[in-house]
Amino acid sequence: MKPLVFAARSLRREFRHGELATLAAALVLAVAALTAVGTLANRVERAILASASELLGGDLGVNGRRTDLPETFSSKAAELGLDSSRIVEFSSVVFAGERSQFSEVRAVDPTFPLRGTLTVQDASGAQRTGSAPAVGEVYADRAVLVALDSGVGDTVQLGGRDLRVVGEIVTAPGGSVFQFAPTVLMNREDAISSGLLGVGSRASYRVLVAGSEQAIGRYAEWARGNLPQDARLTTIEDAQQNLRTAFERGESFLRLAALLAALLSGIAVALAAQRFARRKTEEVALLRCLGASRSEIVSAMTLQLALLALPACLFGAVIGLGMQEMAFYFARGLLPGDAPGLSLGPALSAFAIGLAVLFGFALPPLLRLRDVEPMRVFRKDLETRVRRFDVLYLLPFVVGGVLILIESSSMRLAGVLAGGLAAVAVATVVVTLLLLKLLRAGGRKLPGALRFGLANLARRRALTLVQVGALALSLTALDLLAVVGPSLLDRWRADLPEDTPNYFVLNVQEDQRDTFEQRLDALGASNVSMLPLAAGKLVAINGKTPQASDFADEQRAGNWLEREVRVSWSDTLSPSNRIIAGNWHGAAPAQAEMSVDEGWFKLFNLALGDTMTLRFGDAEITAKVTSVREIDWDSFSVNFFMMLDTKHASELPHSLISSFHVPPSPTGMAQLSREMPNISLVDIKAILDRVRDIIERVSSAVTWVLGFSLAAGVLVLLAALASTADERRFEIALLRTLGANSGQLNAAVLGEFAALGLLAGLVAAAGAAGTGMALARGVFQLPDYVPPAGPLAVVAIGSAVLVMLAGLAGTRRIARTPPMLVLRHGN
Amino acid sequence: MSIDSTSVLNAQKLSKAVEGPDGRLVILDDVSLNVDRGASLAIVGASGSGKTTLLGLLAGLDRPTSGTVALAGQQLDALDEEARARVRRRLVGFVFQSFHLLPALNAEENVMLPLELEGRDDARERAASALDAVGLGKRTHHYPHQLSGGEQQRVALARAFVHGPELLFADEPTGNLDQRTGAAVTDLLFALNREHATTLVLVTHDSTLAQRCARTLRLRDGRVVEDGA
Repeated sequence: MKPLVFAARSLRREFRHGELATLAAALVLAVAALTAVGTLANRVERAILASASELLGGDLGVNGRRTDLPETFSSKAAELGLDSSRIVEFSSVVFAGERSQFSEVRAVDPTFPLRGTLTVQDASGAQRTGSAPAVGEVYADRAVLVALDSGVGDTVQLGGRDLRVVGEIVTAPGGSVFQFAPTVLMNREDAISSGLLGVGSRASYRVLVAGSEQAIGRYAEWARGNLPQDARLTTIEDAQQNLRTAFERGESFLRLAALLAALLSGIAVALAAQRFARRKTEEVALLRCLGASRSEIVSAMTLQLALLALPACLFGAVIGLGMQEMAFYFARGLLPGDAPGLSLGPALSAFAIGLAVLFGFALPPLLRLRDVEPMRVFRKDLETRVRRFDVLYLLPFVVGGVLILIESSSMRLAGVLAGGLAAVAVATVVVTLLLLKLLRAGGRKLPGALRFGLANLARRRALTLVQVGALALSLTALDLLAVVGPSLLDRWRADLPEDTPNYFVLNVQEDQRDTFEQRLDALGASNVSMLPLAAGKLVAINGKTPQASDFADEQRAGNWLEREVRVSWSDTLSPSNRIIAGNWHGAAPAQAEMSVDEGWFKLFNLALGDTMTLRFGDAEITAKVTSVREIDWDSFSVNFFMMLDTKHASELPHSLISSFHVPPSPTGMAQLSREMPNISLVDIKAILDRVRDIIERVSSAVTWVLGFSLAAGVLVLLAALASTADERRFEIALLRTLGANSGQLNAAVLGEFAALGLLAGLVAAAGAAGTGMALARGVFQLPDYVPPAGPLAVVAIGSAVLVMLAGLAGTRRIARTPPMLVLRHGN
Repeated sequence: MSIDSTSVLNAQKLSKAVEGPDGRLVILDDVSLNVDRGASLAIVGASGSGKTTLLGLLAGLDRPTSGTVALAGQQLDALDEEARARVRRRLVGFVFQSFHLLPALNAEENVMLPLELEGRDDARERAASALDAVGLGKRTHHYPHQLSGGEQQRVALARAFVHGPELLFADEPTGNLDQRTGAAVTDLLFALNREHATTLVLVTHDSTLAQRCARTLRLRDGRVVEDGA
């Protein structure tokens, strides 16, 4: 026998039977879903990185503190064919006549900006793309101009030099959203010649480079080996963290949806393959009888699968690419910069995963065919030897587990999902066996037809377990996608309610507090929070001066030890904070107490009860660490690494920082800025809007992927029903022969399928709720998420009805076949 | 068309044809017969002669392409499948070559089936006594796979007679059994037939079995070639 010829000939004929069509459809769905989501995620990821380099102002930054970086950092860049730019940043006061404004000054050279666009506005309000300001000129933020009561064209003083304002900054790459003062952009030559960078200037120096990915990689490697002390690299991954978190969370949602679609397809493949194998048993017995070897049988089966899988996976990849192109078209508006090109990597990996799903889920039942006895040709009742345990059965679980691990992009997501699905599988087996036991004990009291239907479940115990298991797993996946997913997204959306702060205000002085609060009232501000802010230095831990070398992450620890850290105090814990160890200090503890961020707690090897000493100018405070906080940095609220108690900290020199939501008003905030020129306003509406937009689009993209999963779920249902169709066909024909009417047949079928559906639906609802809670806590950081019980119950009952109706529809066709036809062909 | 008052089964000009890959294939051609109440008829013939097709048409399991069948005075061709099922439930019992017991049900439950389909309350008691009558009173809770071929066919006989049908259709009832078991089942079949005064129509290859019937109908290529005692 030539296995390939046999496989090809047989495939053409077999396709009509339905199982192979189910197999092919499941593969197309799995590969299409994985391709679409994988490719889209890849392009979005590249777009985010591109936009992050815009924010950074280059593809890589080298930051030096206090001293400029050696010239080699520029010459090495030139040697590798990279563009480079040098920037100096420092804080200074800008004057205009009697007025002054504390500002963050960025002094740039003529190559600025390497990445992104500098947009400035002239006196008439017209915007243009700019480059570095010329010698003797500056660009300034509106807040600076308002505070100085100046405009474009006026002259300001900085470092004792007169500089002409030639533009108001609209957007400038390379800044930070949360910097503490408005920006002034000047020429680096002016900064050097004015003496602003002299000893004690506290300036920070930066070399930015941009160019090909390869050259950047080589430069980064060289730079790491040549970093002066206190200097560090800033990669684009470090930038735009806020937006990135939103995208990553969105990507996790999408990958989860695609992964579930692929797993569902795997279940459909397994069921279809099982039925295919059962139908092939006679044929294999005959082939064995005629002298085919076991290896020939296995080769023919494997080849048949391969011949089916290759075109199906290819077709799925093409559909997936088409779909992601459409989705990317709609998501395009979210992503600044050029559209990243199409990468075929994710499509190829989806193709490979499709093959893995097919072979992983379909091979075990097909390989069992090698055990078919040739004697079966003579005695159909000769069962294939049943093995209690076959290592082959582990294959789908291994493939499923690996798939979860690869696709979920995080061990945590993989673990929660695999654990949830495994728990559903185990629960299904336990609950089904219990039900079958109950049926055996009490089933005799049921009316005839219903008893017959339910007895079927008990008789096909193994098949019932497979059917309920497949249905429960697929319903869990659908519950997760259709109910838990959207409610998780709602919960995420609720993270950014309508009154999420859209402004931060810095530098409010204590004596301005009342006026400031009145102004905010007048502007209709809501969700106002106001916290004191003091900048100090960490000078001792447990009475000892800390050295960077004492800590594992020496560089980060060193950075914090050298710079001023900002601390605050409050009687109450902010809603975006959660105590994970110790107790919140409350209003007036006996001695000074402090609550520390968990990241800091680890960084400085702290333990509860340790003391930290902070110096604020002449004042010093030593506080005991009494609690550790987990901070939700995505909450758009003001948060601090260290929170002191009010009683001991309130006398420290400080200003106030406030966050609040104000309704859009073109003049309101400008007016506030004019009235209180010393305050710094930070408008975060743009970034907030973008995060909101991402959530919306992720929600609609999840709905798309949900379509794949629903289709895969329907395939599972059909495959599960088809797996017992032949037997059912015979039983119904016999009941018909003995005179059963349609009502009686329907009762039998309804009883059987309602039990199947309800069992699977209830286990799935419980499983999805549990998995959803675990996902919310462990993966999406939404700890207070509660799965919606109502919709899950509706889905459970709905799925029972659906399974019942599907069973009834399938049976109706069988019931129309004359019983004679079925009986003649025997059992 | 007049039907003899003693007739329980009457077929007129029955034909059955199917469309095959090589065109129309006639399986049964112009068969007429009349069976009196209490009679026994063996339908014999070579494989493919149309025996089982004729049995199926007489029992109302399939519809003829042309012709009519009257079973206990009911014209089957005028009835839909639902109504034919009601007629079978009331008047007909079946015995098959491969027993056709429902593997999901034990012996007693299999025998109860026709009674339960009629909605009778005494199904379990009657099934138990029917199994007693075929010598399987102690195996009522055995499932088909726990019974031998002969025992399975005896359960099938109990199921066929339990609701007191007027007609019993048997398709090669000993075809799957060895000679000794086959003979025992045949004895039981005829004993029950006598006891219940049932009309028996059976299809068989087995000439010994055919000879025990009062009348033999021989088919060849779908036509009746011999009809006699």
